[in-house]
Amino acid sequence: MALLEVVDLHVGYRVFEGYLKVLNGVNFEIEEQERVGLVGETGCGKTTLVKTILRVLPVPPARIQRGQVLYHGKDILLMSPREVRGLRRREMTAIFQDPLQALNPMFTIGTQLRDILKDSQERVGRGQRTQRAITARCISALRDTGMPDPERIMSNYPIQLSGGMRQRVCIAEALSRNVRLLLADEPTTNLDVTIQDQILRKLDQLVDQRGASVLIITHSMGVVRDLTQRLYIMYAGSMVETGRTKGVLASPLHPYTQGLMRSVPRLTGQGISDGIPGRIPNYLQPPSGCRFHPRCAHAMPVCVEAPPPFYPAGDNHRVACYLYRS
Amino acid sequence: MPGDILSVDNLRKHFPTKEGVVRAVDGVSFSIAPGETFGLVGESGSGKTTTAQCIIGMYPPTSGDIWFKGERINAAFDRRPKHVKGDLRIVFQDPGSSLNPKRTIKQILSVPLQVHRIGSRRGRLARMKALLDMVELPADEYLYKHPQAIGGGERQMVALARALATNPSLVLLDEPTSALDVSVQAKIINLLIRLQKELDLTYLFITHDLSLMRNIATRVAIMYLGKLCEIAPTAEFFESPVHPYTRMLLSSIPVVSDEEEALKPRKVLSTGEIPSPVNVPPGCGFQSRCPEAADVCRRVDPEMVEVSRSHQVRCHRERRPDRAGHAEASVLHEREERLC
Ligand SMILES: Nc1ncnc2c1ncn2[C@@H]1O[C@H](COP(=O)(O)OP(=O)(O)OP(=O)(O)O)[C@@H](O)[C@H]1O
Ligand SMILES: Nc1ncnc2c1ncn2[C@@H]1O[C@H](COP(=O)(O)OP(=O)(O)OP(=O)(O)O)[C@@H](O)[C@H]1O
Ligand code: SF4
Ligand SMILES: [Mg+2]
Ligand SMILES: [Mg+2]
Repeated sequence: MALLEVVDLHVGYRVFEGYLKVLNGVNFEIEEQERVGLVGETGCGKTTLVKTILRVLPVPPARIQRGQVLYHGKDILLMSPREVRGLRRREMTAIFQDPLQALNPMFTIGTQLRDILKDSQERVGRGQRTQRAITARCISALRDTGMPDPERIMSNYPIQLSGGMRQRVCIAEALSRNVRLLLADEPTTNLDVTIQDQILRKLDQLVDQRGASVLIITHSMGVVRDLTQRLYIMYAGSMVETGRTKGVLASPLHPYTQGLMRSVPRLTGQGISDGIPGRIPNYLQPPSGCRFHPRCAHAMPVCVEAPPPFYPAGDNHRVACYLYRS
Repeated sequence: MPGDILSVDNLRKHFPTKEGVVRAVDGVSFSIAPGETFGLVGESGSGKTTTAQCIIGMYPPTSGDIWFKGERINAAFDRRPKHVKGDLRIVFQDPGSSLNPKRTIKQILSVPLQVHRIGSRRGRLARMKALLDMVELPADEYLYKHPQAIGGGERQMVALARALATNPSLVLLDEPTSALDVSVQAKIINLLIRLQKELDLTYLFITHDLSLMRNIATRVAIMYLGKLCEIAPTAEFFESPVHPYTRMLLSSIPVVSDEEEALKPRKVLSTGEIPSPVNVPPGCGFQSRCPEAADVCRRVDPEMVEVSRSHQVRCHRERRPDRAGHAEASVLHEREERLC
């Protein structure tokens, strides 16, 4: 059984102009001790997916229409609030894209980190020694993320930190929890590549030492290549391709993935491609059938009719595109 | 240098705070020639945004000078002459928060036109349509939309249209595409390149994406702890980096093919304490993480020296007598490794 399995998930948002049909039948899974990458278009629903899994989606305006989120075979969407709290305490945690949203502006970084450490541990004493040990662990967690001057940062409030520093606080918070599944939503976008590298190595160690699984969402194909074994490509609310990371990057099959790979700026310096033609879909009235069809150079009549299922394409590689129907 | 569009001379910006003085920008000098795309890359929190904010006038510098087209423009934004304000514009990373969600795109674009008294009422509408057209958004569809109703990439195009409203010659771009997927990024970059040619624009481009810089920058400058540590023309920068931090940066670029992997210097792992701009250590700012730090590095802050006419580096290794031929040798040895 997979550690996490999302089945046919449909989620949307009610907005002034109508109903945004965002997640459109998402199917994906994460195995035990697996590092999985998720790359997708700006606004295709990646953060919505993570929030649904962790049950932190604001409902309303969001609405979960149907689908299942199975953790060890148990549907998170049907759990009681108490079970959900237990799940978040011991089983899974997320690094959110917007760190300001994740941190409480009223408390110092130190207070927040200490609370989390205490909370995630089974039994902690109240003695001075344990207090001091907890503080020391917080500081070392911050130092692990390449935070300058961690002792000083402990007494700072979130607004006193730069964007990259806040992001590192959230990473420290997530890494100091002893969980089985870490959902990392663009954890390193605001950081320089040396610190990014340092943090990704830390994440990697975590998986090795604790046997945890990681989902990493990013726009950087290089990051998923470095860190993950398996990769999902998402477009307009559903997964369009998955397979071993190196395989997908070396020979992308879906026309969207092919367009993405052509758009990646290369160190070889051959210039920047034009990007994928056409515009991102309107989620109020999304295209019928394959949502990519209006932008696809290979679109056929069948593409307009029904969303393509996943077709196998060898070596665990699967692709949701009628070109691979055979 | 005469002929430069922008010249920053020993710029310092210090912020007094309760915890001490933050030396966000601490003696930065560079100049940009017309038509360039000058890439500013560096450590998170090294002062790149603060440098841009000083240039645009959001803060007056603590010391140092900013020259724009031969005119000294140290004053804060409100006190700058109007022609400078219109000629020098900025686009921020997060278009979500830099566009007012309560306004329509038409209202957003009309602000700079009104402030700079560009066109009559009728002329302004035509100008706004032309601006949207310039950034490849269909005007009829977009003029009356609100920022939340459009995608992240499109918001960034609106922010760019707003910056271009006053016909600037220098545009500061602070991580304009780092929140976007690579396909949308490619569109915006192509748009920037086309507009640069059509409108004779000069760019100061701040980013963490060195692969992107490889493809679009004319020169690259690296910033660390409030100071520049290396400036070089793009090709030379990637082929023969000299500063240890630059090498660490280049060796950490996540790439997507073995071909690119081979172009990177040998891996330099990032270790050591990250210094804070409140407690700037004596000596070189990079010494706590530098694999090549010597005694002198812990005592004396190195000066910027020329490796070649257009390539400058701030590192003691450059000064050491054993250094002659060292750069050459290490480049050769890396080239050999690449051939393996
Ligand atoms: N609270 C909300 N109310 C209304 N619409 C929303 C809300 N949150 C997200 N959306 C819409 O849902 C879609 C998916 O958003 P989401 O943030 O999940 O995308 P994403 O894939 O994480 O994008 P990015 O790459 O920019 O982080 C977007 O079109 C967005 O405009
Ligand atoms: N208004 C302010 N008051 C106090 N400190 C500040 C202020 N603005 C910036 N700083 C500090 O100055 C330093 C430089 O910040 P800046 O935002 O310029 O960095 P940056 O190079 O743009 O980083 P990033 O890559 O994370 O965007 C940081 O340590 C930051 O905390
Ligand atoms: S299913 Fe059809 S429209 Fe969709 S990507 Fe494949 S060929 Fe293109
Ligand atoms: Mg997101
Ligand atoms: Mg910045």
